Amino acid sequence: MASALASKRLFHEYKLLSQSPPDGITAGPVSESDLFVWEALIQGPDDTPYAGGIFPAELRFPRDYPLSPPTMRFITEVWHPNVYANGNVCISILHAPGDDPMHYESASERWSPIQSVEKILISVMSMLAEPNDESPANVEAAKMWRERRGEFEGRVRRGVRGSLGLV
Amino acid sequence: MSDPDQTVSIPSLLLLAALGALAVKYFLFPSPTSASASNPTTTTRGQANPADVEQIANMFPQIPRRDIMWDLQRTGGSVAGTTERILGRGGLDTPPPTFQPTNIPSPGAVRPSTGTAQQQSKQEYVDLIKRYKLEGKLGREAEVQEGSSRTWSANSDERQAALQRRREEMVLNARRKMEEKDRQGAGNA
Repeated sequence: MASALASKRLFHEYKLLSQSPPDGITAGPVSESDLFVWEALIQGPDDTPYAGGIFPAELRFPRDYPLSPPTMRFITEVWHPNVYANGNVCISILHAPGDDPMHYESASERWSPIQSVEKILISVMSMLAEPNDESPANVEAAKMWRERRGEFEGRVRRGVRGSLGLV
Repeated sequence: MSDPDQTVSIPSLLLLAALGALAVKYFLFPSPTSASASNPTTTTRGQANPADVEQIANMFPQIPRRDIMWDLQRTGGSVAGTTERILGRGGLDTPPPTFQPTNIPSPGAVRPSTGTAQQQSKQEYVDLIKRYKLEGKLGREAEVQEGSSRTWSANSDERQAALQRRREEMVLNARRKMEEKDRQGAGNA
């Protein structure tokens, strides 16, 4: 049964991530009674406007994981060219190889069963540091990032402070 | 034909009203609030006198109370001085984010300013401190338990608790670091 395999795999990843979490990342199921919904915390990378911030996101895994990738959605506002206004993250590792309407992603960057939650979260962390301007999910944010970098960074910093209760 | 002296502009009306209010206040109620300019509690970086804040806020409802408190606190608590600054410049300086007065009077009554700088800060934030119910743990010093929370327990409840603790630590540490940075920034200024 596909979902039994998925549960087993997710539990294994949960264990690895708990025992040796990458720097600035905490992730695990919201409740062990449902291993298909996770909450991850990602720390904003240093030397970026996201620095000092903590960005919680929800990961939802399909029943045929790891054949298909999860979806990832930030719970707080993340003002970023590659994050939709509703928080959905648009990054190549979350796209299956066949699912590339823009044809800009190479197959190696995309989802495959040898990827993992850990690799997704690390990719998202580097995405925060280096937006991909070619495929903006948030056109307004991308435009601001390109043309008014100071304003963009100010807005991100205000979001970081606000999310830590320091408005 | 048109006599400029006969048209009374709105700013000058406002100025007149404000000066009138001040005059009434000073002549009729010389104490105790008007003594606040020389009141040592307000000049020594204490919180602004709530009555003064209220008075200015009533005259200028469009100015956020937080801005008024900041200006009063910074300039020695003189109502007249703050009023003059508002009239002269059309507003007050925006306080730094670190300025967090604990007793802003009637925050519900604070109307958002129509200024452009204010509008941008009207984003909706999800407050992580509230989300993870960490209000009670804010003041405490960091309890370093890095290693302990990384263990993998055979017990499901313990695992869940450890994960929860790591989430909370991450948020609390971020908050502490940000506050520390604020303090350093304030020290340099």
